Amino acid sequence: MKQFKLIFVLAAVLGLAACQSKVEYGDATEVETVNENFGSTDLQAIAAKMVDSMMTFPPIVAMTANNRPILFVDSIKNKTSEHIDTESVTDSISNKLLRSGKFRFIDMTKVDSVRKQLDYQNNTGMIDPSTAIKFGRQIGAQYMLYGNLSSIVKQDGSTKDVYYKMTMRLMDLETGLIEWSDEKEIRKTKSKSFLGM
Amino acid sequence: MKTTFSNSLIRSAISSTLIIGFALGASGCAYNSVFINYPSQIAPIKQGLNTATPLADIDKLASNINGNDGLLYAQEAGRVAQIAGDFASSKQYYQQAVAAYIAFDDKAKISASDVGATASSLVLNDNAIPYRGPGYERIMLHQYQALNYLFSGDYQGALVEVRRSNELQGSEQERYQKSQKSVQAMANGTVDAEVNKLGQAAGTVTSSFLNAYSYYTTGVLHEVLGEPNDAFIDYRKAAQITPDNTYLQQDLVRLAKQLGMPQYDEFKRRWGDAKLPKSGEGQVILMVERGFVPEKQALTVPFTIHGNWQTVSLATYGPNNAFVQPAQVQGLGTELKTEPIANIDALAITALKEDLPGTLVRQVARVYAKSEMAYQVEKSGKPGNNAADIGSIAMQIFNVVTEQADRRSWLTLPKQAQIGRRYLNPGEYTLQLDKAPPAKIDVAAGKTTLVWAIDTGNYTRIYSIII
Repeated sequence: MKQFKLIFVLAAVLGLAACQSKVEYGDATEVETVNENFGSTDLQAIAAKMVDSMMTFPPIVAMTANNRPILFVDSIKNKTSEHIDTESVTDSISNKLLRSGKFRFIDMTKVDSVRKQLDYQNNTGMIDPSTAIKFGRQIGAQYMLYGNLSSIVKQDGSTKDVYYKMTMRLMDLETGLIEWSDEKEIRKTKSKSFLGM
Repeated sequence: MKTTFSNSLIRSAISSTLIIGFALGASGCAYNSVFINYPSQIAPIKQGLNTATPLADIDKLASNINGNDGLLYAQEAGRVAQIAGDFASSKQYYQQAVAAYIAFDDKAKISASDVGATASSLVLNDNAIPYRGPGYERIMLHQYQALNYLFSGDYQGALVEVRRSNELQGSEQERYQKSQKSVQAMANGTVDAEVNKLGQAAGTVTSSFLNAYSYYTTGVLHEVLGEPNDAFIDYRKAAQITPDNTYLQQDLVRLAKQLGMPQYDEFKRRWGDAKLPKSGEGQVILMVERGFVPEKQALTVPFTIHGNWQTVSLATYGPNNAFVQPAQVQGLGTELKTEPIANIDALAITALKEDLPGTLVRQVARVYAKSEMAYQVEKSGKPGNNAADIGSIAMQIFNVVTEQADRRSWLTLPKQAQIGRRYLNPGEYTLQLDKAPPAKIDVAAGKTTLVWAIDTGNYTRIYSIII
């Protein structure tokens, strides 16, 4: 009887432990396949491919040989059927380009904050005019980096196929010429399991 | 003698309570519609929508989202919040419903929880099976979610929802082509008559399978957000379903002309030339939703097997004869009369009709299971024994009480959707829909004012946005 009780208690403890949720740290660059939606692996693959392609494109290599061109990133248009944070994709790409030391960037998302700050420095009378940063001294961008993310989704019974295509381009603002362009394709297929919960 | 009596009484009582208890236990904990029919749960919410405080009961509704029919309650809560103009919380409720649909999609082909639900539906009723909406409800969910994004100012998000809705419309179209055969291939006396009756109520045309309102909404969003080519495709599909709508015809001629489509000459011949806005004029697009989609009724047939009472209860729709009037809109120059684009009630009726074969199979299995249960309880006691009688009566009461038709469906949807469109000079307009209190809208040059009016019977709410 005593043993029986012990077994029962052990079983209960084991049962409860199995129900406990747990948190673990993982590798941020690990391949993620939780579901077929746009995920971190796709984002990393796109950023890596785009930056690689741009940095090794001969005209770009020539362009960055002696000076650091100034770029601004226009938002990437989300044309997929998922709510994707495309700003995060452009952030990754501009980060990598900036870290390469070959480009300089202008952040168009912060223009309003900068304007407010300069307004404060120049027009409130609080700042010593000799130290205030003057309006109209910033440097204009020479190139615009922009892109499109589109997807084709097909579903039939237990199979779902998702195809993503990211297209990116670099435009010379002075001439309107496209200096570089490339695309990254990703295909994911999901098949439903036969047995499960 | 006395001991035998009490023993068998206890045994019989235990066996019947065990069966009932097992049936309830197996089916899980939170069952809202198993014993209380769904329309009566939603009735007070619908009444609330006709008052100034539509969100009074929303927490009660939202508390059911974690339950078995969470999908349905999330749809209802999202719609209630949306009608009340709380687009941010409506978006969240709808997101929960979308997540539930995706979870259903991802389920294994043979899933343990599905098998369990079907098993408990055999002892209880079909309400024990978690709710999974018909195709048109899922499309409308994305269509309404797109409007939530639009009215919150997130145009890119709105287009994402529009694309999701387009994807589902595509698969629904495919299913429609297949299903027509399967629906017609059914042959069974009573159910056949019921299907025929439903067929008369819905009409048998394409408009009862495919939703022109969804196509039109996605078309409008494509058009106002700068994708006229996609809009043209959606309008064409809408026009195939609802060919008589003059606003839709005019949209097609205009877009065909603007885009230089080869169909322009044909459209022009059929519906007259395109009317384009004069320079400096703005455009008003009206989308009017009226009434509520009808509730499912129960059709109950009692009969006996082995001398025990049984019932069969099927969901059906009553005769559909209430005519929805087109809205008369004052305040935008001459009186503007909206025209119907889709009858949501017809879609609901068709969805039920398509479900009937499956329901019938489960119904037959359930009648068998329940009659066996009653028979076993009866057999376990000696004939003429009071205890056995009590057990079998309890079993029969259980059978009759649990036999409830599956009356669940998204009930806060409108009965009919209507559209209208007009070019106006820029400025402020006071718009009045029939006898409802007037609302102010702005029209800006070269822009589109989208007006969305929801008439829930005694109350009309009007939302507008300039794009």
